[in-house]
Amino acid sequence: MTTQRITARRRFKLSEGILSILPVLVLLAFMRFYPMLAAIYRSFTNWDGLYRSDWIGLANYVQIFVNSPFFKLLRNSLVLLTTVPLQVMIGLLVAVLLYEEVRGWRFFRTIIYLPQIISAVTIGYLFRVAFSLDGPVNLSLRRIGLDLLAGEWLGNTGTALFVLVFCLTWFSIGWQAIVILGGMAKISPEVFEAARMDGASYWQRTFYVVIPMISRTLEYAVIMSMVWTLTSVFAFIYSITAGGPGYETTTIDFMIYRKFYQAGAPYGSASAFAVILLAIILIFTVVEMRVANKASEWE
Amino acid sequence: MLGKINQKLSAALVFLLLLTLSVSNLYPFFYMFFNSVKHRTDYLVNPFRVAGLELTWDNYRTMISQFRILDLFRNSFVISFFTILLLLGLGILASYAFAKLRFRGKEVIYLLIISTMFIPVQATIIPLYVFFSRLGLVNTSWSVIFIYVGLFIPEVILLMTSGFRGIPDELIEAAKLDGAGYFEVIRYVIIPMGRPAIILCVIFYFIVTWNDLFTPMILLQSMDKRTVMVALAALLSRYSGDPTFQFAGLVLASIPAILVYAFFQRYIVKGISLGATK
Repeated sequence: MTTQRITARRRFKLSEGILSILPVLVLLAFMRFYPMLAAIYRSFTNWDGLYRSDWIGLANYVQIFVNSPFFKLLRNSLVLLTTVPLQVMIGLLVAVLLYEEVRGWRFFRTIIYLPQIISAVTIGYLFRVAFSLDGPVNLSLRRIGLDLLAGEWLGNTGTALFVLVFCLTWFSIGWQAIVILGGMAKISPEVFEAARMDGASYWQRTFYVVIPMISRTLEYAVIMSMVWTLTSVFAFIYSITAGGPGYETTTIDFMIYRKFYQAGAPYGSASAFAVILLAIILIFTVVEMRVANKASEWE
Repeated sequence: MLGKINQKLSAALVFLLLLTLSVSNLYPFFYMFFNSVKHRTDYLVNPFRVAGLELTWDNYRTMISQFRILDLFRNSFVISFFTILLLLGLGILASYAFAKLRFRGKEVIYLLIISTMFIPVQATIIPLYVFFSRLGLVNTSWSVIFIYVGLFIPEVILLMTSGFRGIPDELIEAAKLDGAGYFEVIRYVIIPMGRPAIILCVIFYFIVTWNDLFTPMILLQSMDKRTVMVALAALLSRYSGDPTFQFAGLVLASIPAILVYAFFQRYIVKGISLGATK
């Protein structure tokens, strides 16, 4: 009798747990798993979003590798990834300064995070204006006599990519600083004080005390910003260069958007790009999981 | 002696560095604002000039009367509001289960949900667009809201689960002994005790959804449904446009998120440093 009641109770508990997460699972099934599987399947077809969807095997992929700016897109994504070490280094520098609570650090913390609050649409437009032909950057360069450097920043591959990297780095410093500061809060202040008492300089404290003690936070920061750079910079590219000139600043994720609006609705080909993007993210995630063990330890 | 001078020097350097960074963070927004209240010709003559100019609010007036930016605000607010409402509803139930209930497969399901964070929205947007157009929901706020909830729920669960784990089990047991059922436990124990995580989600996802461009740009193509960022992005992509007018729109569109940041900054900083959101 008692055992029966316990089993009944346990069974209720089990269903309580499952029922609590069921709505989320149903939602994710429709909003994430189904479209992901659909994209994978459609990448082997000549889908146009309507009725045409014939199986064409690997043709989309062959097209992408042979007859598309794919390697240019890959190059652009890799160039944009150079923002990650830049962000992390500057963010670390700022975090250490904030940690030492220099005068006015609260104010600095507020300001340093400010770009994250502003829409990428706004930030992108400000950068586009800043680096336009008669924009503030060129005006300033001409005023101080550096006419040579003034030019069509967004019209050339190298400088356009530079502007994007600069913008993404500038935008992300605050996020990095706050994340790293959070990691540093776990270092016991005694360790830090001891190092300072022993006469360790700012650089010594940074390299021999802070960095080794926040390696997990740094890993997290690097991985998240890598994935972010590969997946979430659409609005920046859209509002600064719109992927141009040509495909010179188009990344793989931006290409999916361009395919979506391309004449003839090449959704099958766009899906193949989506699968390639997924594969790249997956590689990053697997490598990252190896390094950082499990997502559950990130809390 | 020398050490002291050194220390003072490095303190000054540190201050200078932070000051430079602050100026580089503030100046662009300052530039945007003071040019938005200039006449167009003054802007074209010298965009840096601040003092001694006749100011005008015409750009703001036109933004409100012609561009109807307040209608766009309403569209954006509706999407942010219902996204947050659904995120909280689904997130609190699921996070309570992950933090406090025992059931088979919990760890696996948790990791499965969290791992969907790594699927970029671009990879799924075309099937989703076709899906919603078959349902007749393209050009409605609901399509964007449901996509958002699917995109952000893993992070919400990550954040809330870690927040709810800190709630003492004894409180829940005591409530149950007093006869509290499932929903009463959530209503009287989980929500009040887990408030910091819940507030963080509200603030953070307001800012994210308010500022986002990609999803609403694909799903909302009719003029009267667009969010403020979609409409502004379309306005900005016309190269011939008037920058001072465009700045005015961007200033207005930035205000809600800046206000939220100004009032709830400490929650955001705390949440980011928990390492759970980006």
